[in-house]
Amino acid sequence: MASYLKILLRNLIQGPSTDPFPAGPTFEPDSIRGKIRIDPELCMGCGICVHNCVSNALHLERREDGHTLTCWDNLCCRCATCVMFCPMKAITLLPDWHTAHYQDDKYARIEQKSVTYEPCSVCGKKMRPVPAALLKKLYAGKTDVDAERLTHVCPDCRQLEDSKRNIGQLPA
Amino acid sequence: MSTNTFHMPLGPVHVALEEPVYFNITCEGESVKSVELTSGHVHRGMEQLALRRNLVKNVTLTERVCSLCSNSHSFTYSMVVENALGLVIPDRARYLRVVAEEVKRIASHLFNMAIQAHLTGFATFFMQIMETREIMQDVKETVYGNRMNLASNCIGGVKFDLSQDKLAYLLKQLDVFEPQVEEIREIFATNGTILNRTRGLGILPPEDATALGVAGPVARGSGLPMDCRKNSPYAAYGDLDFDMITETGCCAHSRTMVRLNEIFESIKMLRQAVAQMPDGPVHAPMPGIPVAEAFAHSEAPRGEVAYYIRTDGTETPARLKWRVPSYMNWKALSVMMRGAQIADIALVVNSIDPCVSCTER
Repeated sequence: MASYLKILLRNLIQGPSTDPFPAGPTFEPDSIRGKIRIDPELCMGCGICVHNCVSNALHLERREDGHTLTCWDNLCCRCATCVMFCPMKAITLLPDWHTAHYQDDKYARIEQKSVTYEPCSVCGKKMRPVPAALLKKLYAGKTDVDAERLTHVCPDCRQLEDSKRNIGQLPA
Repeated sequence: MSTNTFHMPLGPVHVALEEPVYFNITCEGESVKSVELTSGHVHRGMEQLALRRNLVKNVTLTERVCSLCSNSHSFTYSMVVENALGLVIPDRARYLRVVAEEVKRIASHLFNMAIQAHLTGFATFFMQIMETREIMQDVKETVYGNRMNLASNCIGGVKFDLSQDKLAYLLKQLDVFEPQVEEIREIFATNGTILNRTRGLGILPPEDATALGVAGPVARGSGLPMDCRKNSPYAAYGDLDFDMITETGCCAHSRTMVRLNEIFESIKMLRQAVAQMPDGPVHAPMPGIPVAEAFAHSEAPRGEVAYYIRTDGTETPARLKWRVPSYMNWKALSVMMRGAQIADIALVVNSIDPCVSCTER
């Protein structure tokens, strides 16, 4: 019993262990998994996140003129599978864990981002403008390619341009 | 039936942990003569649910079987899929998996210790243990971002790498944590209140333990050297130096001491894993899914967890079956409770650290 009295005495001197939250600050590590964020600049609408979302929190709507990715915050289980699978790193989990809300607000708690497609500057077909970061990665080290212009060139036309450029340059 | 023999229903809720098992106890006076168990109150049909989701989704589904050993399920499930796919995980992932597993084991064992203190009527000690456990909860929150379901494993390795800062934080917290658990161990080993309530209670002789096929700390508390981490090493356990803890008392107190001593082995393993961890990728890409069958097992905090999978070439499994240690362990309750006092039933139940939601899934 003596050893326990020692602990009790120490606890008495140290004071309360609990945080004074919400009146004061509480333990909030930066890496805590809170609300989901979708970056419309990067999302290509491939849908791998939707395919692997176990709680069906993600929904992708594909249209002629764009796509919309929606995450229902109340369904999301913060497993971060979408974060891991997203090839563009367009999904992140914010450290914002303040998720208490009124019942009336439950359907408003969504993260929804839309991407509008633009006409291809060559053929005019609607296409998703290619993020500059992706083009920079794809054409890294190619001085003869104007990556800026290719932002508005659809994959089919890009393929054609690449073929034209590389014709006759194939290894013997 | 003599006049002083009666049946006493106990449960289905709040017997020891707040999980449902129904006991129909036949008593003679104050002592228990025999026990019948009825279970199935939290059956959720998870094996069927797994057949309707793809292999990747099932990692998250299996992690939600239970909360205290959640990581063991996603870990073993990932291993069984990797076996079916013939996938070899990167070296760094092997170590990162051990780190997550041991952090969870420490938190799980301490939770059981806390409940035992609570059932002994030692409420302040319960709070003290939970406060110490909070150090590990903070580690989980800081390193993984979640307090219970770490969501660390994926098929082919682990989802995210841990930065040097996070590993340093883990080691720093272990230094704070270890002396506090040392105090807790000393109290469990010497405190009269606890010794009087638990020593010699819920005896499970080694012969019965073998016959009933118990696993984990229940088996090791009866002197059986059974630990998958040692007997058939997986992940990085084969590269780590640790001891298998066994006790020969066969009683609730022995099982307590096994768990407490295991916490120190886990701390040792965590330090080694962080020190030995090689650099490199943390997950390997999934190859195509063949028609295959596979098996994998691992040592969860409560004992051996085994998974079986059959794939049919599609991305949903044709069959997924798992077996958890609590299933055998709670059969042993009928042996442990024989002759025990009614007031001690909750303590005996707690001594096997039952995980009802795992067992009934």
